[in-house]
Amino acid sequence: MLKASALYMVIIIALVIGILCSSLVLSAYYYRLQYQKSFRYDRLQTNLGSGENILLAGADSSYNVQRTFSLFGDDADSVSLQRVFWGVYDIGVVRAFDQKDTLYKVFSIAHSIDSGKWAALYLTDNDRPMAVSGKTMIRGDAFIPKSGVNQAYLNNQAYSGDKRLIIGTIHNSQRDLPQLDTARLGLFRNLMSQEHGDGNLHGDSITNSFLMPPLIINLGKEPTLLAHISIAGNIIIFSDTSITIDSTAMLNHMMIFARSISVKSGFHGNCQLFARDTIGIGQNCRFDYPSCLGILRFKSTAIMKSQERISLGTACSFSGIIFTYEFDKNPVLPLIDLGNKVQVTGQVYSQGMVAFKDNAVVAGSLFTTGFLYRTSFTLFQNDLMNTTLDESALSPYYLTSGMLPVAGPKKKILQWLEAN
Amino acid sequence: MAGSKLTGKIRASTLLEVVISMVIILVVFSTAMMIYANVTRSSLSLKQLQAQAFLEEVMRNAEIVNENSNQSLNMGDFKIEQVVSEYNDDKKLLEIDLTAYDANQLKIAELKKVILNKNE
Repeated sequence: MLKASALYMVIIIALVIGILCSSLVLSAYYYRLQYQKSFRYDRLQTNLGSGENILLAGADSSYNVQRTFSLFGDDADSVSLQRVFWGVYDIGVVRAFDQKDTLYKVFSIAHSIDSGKWAALYLTDNDRPMAVSGKTMIRGDAFIPKSGVNQAYLNNQAYSGDKRLIIGTIHNSQRDLPQLDTARLGLFRNLMSQEHGDGNLHGDSITNSFLMPPLIINLGKEPTLLAHISIAGNIIIFSDTSITIDSTAMLNHMMIFARSISVKSGFHGNCQLFARDTIGIGQNCRFDYPSCLGILRFKSTAIMKSQERISLGTACSFSGIIFTYEFDKNPVLPLIDLGNKVQVTGQVYSQGMVAFKDNAVVAGSLFTTGFLYRTSFTLFQNDLMNTTLDESALSPYYLTSGMLPVAGPKKKILQWLEAN
Repeated sequence: MAGSKLTGKIRASTLLEVVISMVIILVVFSTAMMIYANVTRSSLSLKQLQAQAFLEEVMRNAEIVNENSNQSLNMGDFKIEQVVSEYNDDKKLLEIDLTAYDANQLKIAELKKVILNKNE
């Protein structure tokens, strides 16, 4: 006999409806949760963008200490901004947070070029004409001495380049080079004059995030060889004597301050190297943009002042900034020596002389007080031989350091370093 | 069924069972309807998502063309109000406030950002 069992059937139907309803509620809950997460993420991204713009618009001295504030005075628009001195560039650190969610971005900041001050060549007026020989090419605006530019027959080679000699507008240069930014030089001076605790290079890989305080390693008076080691990020190495960088070392975004720095042939990396006396780069080395080689001498420690010197070996490729700076004038002028087939993409700023060997190329800008060209028997001054200075070979997106005189007032993001 | 004969017996439900069943089914159905209505009402409307997407597009354009004037735009079914002002009295920075309203002038979405003033 069949049972009608209306109550059982209703209970089963109620159960089915209950399960359907609860799954509906659950799916709606998770959808909403996911949307809120995505909405918060978008809003944090927008706030990060605002923070980046505030850092880019601020003066170099602003946000040296981390500042946390509300962007628009609302609940969920807190950002934390910090600008960190990082050699010739700055590092911007932006964090945006809402409840437990935090987004951050770390990037390097550089300046756009001021086209009014930019020049492919700036040679100070030392009452001596400039001469070009061989296959020399100068493309771009040039500031040269009033006595002008001539062709010269040098080392059995006549000039065989463009008849205009300089393919660009020619201006008269001054007796002194446009000055480097004193504020940034002051920051260098402060950093180099501080007492730093001792430190050792432990392990074969050292990394430090730019979200953390800088990791400072002071190698003291012990000459050091960096070999079979990877050093990347927010790390500064100080040395009172010489540092040698082997081709097996991998350096990325870090800085080195030493009395003298020697880089062995075949090195490839991206770093800022600052020395008081000399920087010697071996053959076939490659420095990626944005790198920097700088001589910084704020005080002379020796009675007989040695010549500050940066030399790049044969077939080196360098992208970034090479400069020399000395506070006290040295009777022996600083020298930047570019070897055979050296390619510099960026800027060279020498308070002294620049020596070229054949087929050296500066794709960008060169500021100097004089040139040297050496043959086996003779040293020629203010002569360019088989050299290329070409501003058009530089990327239109190239950004410079605020320290150099061609920097424009606008700051831009040079490179993204870290983000989540 | 035509032509067939019911030979077995079926025990009918009692009146009490039927009444209780009806009450339960009524309660269950009404609760289910209530939940459905609540979920539908509180879920994010397509309108809000659309409005948010429009605001982001307007913000991107404002950054590119460096638009620094107040204006009102009509996009889809929405009216978007753009208010531009100096951020914290800094001429190098602009604060852009975008608000999307629907046809009933109800605020649907809002977006604020600080951008660089390229004219400075």
